[in-house]
Amino acid sequence: MPLLVRIFTALVLGSLMSTTIAQAADVSPTITVGTQEVGLAGGYMIPQRLTDEHVTNQQGPVLMPSWMITITDPVGSGWYRGQVSIGAEVVYLQFREPILTHGIGFTPKIKYTFVGLDHIRPYLEFAGGPFWTDLAGNIPEESVEFNFVLSAGIGISWFITPQTSLNVGYRFQHISNAGIEYPNLGLNANLPFGGFSFYF
Amino acid sequence: MTHQLFRWTLLGLVGLAVTTPGCSRWIDILPSSTVQQESIARLIPDDERVPFVMDGFRLAQNGAPQNPSTDMERRLLNIVQETHLFSTLVPLGRNASPLGDKVVTARITFDETIDPHPGESAWKGFIIGASMFLLSPVIDLDYDYATQASLELERWDGQLKRYEARSAGAVHYKLFGATPIMIDELKGRVTEACLNDLMAQLVQDTDLYMASSTPAPDSPIRTITVKARNPVAPPPAHSILPVSTAPAP
Repeated sequence: MPLLVRIFTALVLGSLMSTTIAQAADVSPTITVGTQEVGLAGGYMIPQRLTDEHVTNQQGPVLMPSWMITITDPVGSGWYRGQVSIGAEVVYLQFREPILTHGIGFTPKIKYTFVGLDHIRPYLEFAGGPFWTDLAGNIPEESVEFNFVLSAGIGISWFITPQTSLNVGYRFQHISNAGIEYPNLGLNANLPFGGFSFYF
Repeated sequence: MTHQLFRWTLLGLVGLAVTTPGCSRWIDILPSSTVQQESIARLIPDDERVPFVMDGFRLAQNGAPQNPSTDMERRLLNIVQETHLFSTLVPLGRNASPLGDKVVTARITFDETIDPHPGESAWKGFIIGASMFLLSPVIDLDYDYATQASLELERWDGQLKRYEARSAGAVHYKLFGATPIMIDELKGRVTEACLNDLMAQLVQDTDLYMASSTPAPDSPIRTITVKARNPVAPPPAHSILPVSTAPAP
């Protein structure tokens, strides 16, 4: 089992062991303006080749530690009632295919969390920021190491205590250099992920 | 060596200058609309003080009814206690029948108005994030809170008196200065200002709540509402019908 997957599994199991599933029934998270969230998510990158010119089959594990802060109380009514939070995330990618290389980025992100279901909270998130990878130059899609990573995704947070949630979701991820240098076809990927967050 | 030390010191100072304002926050409490009255101090004999019985407590947020918390009720009772105007304070739902006939019944309503400026905050948050947080020290976020309290006191002889107070405040904060505690601080200060205002009005009417006092001749309300004061206590057999009285001479 890869080291990253083992570390991530240990962290998730550790957080689960520190709580009890029985608590979930009476959990009601109190997230207000100023509530901060520290999380760790991991997933696996699956290539999405959008055109015939995209030939690289890049894939590998992804690790995403993040910090967020809630900036609104719940707004709206009905199913779309929710809160906005902003923050930042570090994205680490380990490309196992086509060659073992790495990528790391820093992305501010914004998240809208639907609060209508109380302790089960779906969310939408968008993130984007600078990204460095040594895969570029070794593939036909990208030519320079400095790039940008953009991602949009959905997820669900399941609060197992008022301060802890387990998260699962899906992101679509795009990496390109914004036309700094050509070729710049970009790399696209599907990214299913799971993780946990602490709120304080 | 000296150059490096100088460079790192300069970088540290610049970093400190950029991050410190980004963590700041401050609270503004607007002055009360009620005319401030001079505080009075007087000695009330123990046998002149009557019990204070909580009979109703309503809370609304932005017009929507909420469940009032026991903490809020305790806070109100504490501030009433500090006036030393009443002999005993009876919380909501407690049996007041053993206290005798002369009691003051209280009903309080809190109408809270909360404006967290969600749309504005979301846009500002987006701009701060898009700037890689570089704009966080210069963009303020706001959270407004106001409360209007209405305290209705009913004397043992049915005379009603209503006191009203309103207080408002706002917390202004930078993104990295945001914490849930600041909202509690804001609500706490605004509520305190509002309750102090109410109590300042209440103590002006000290004479009205002394056991030996008689109904004020110029009181606009002369209707005695007869009803069970407490659902626990059985209603007295002789006070079933509503009675209207003429103003005292």
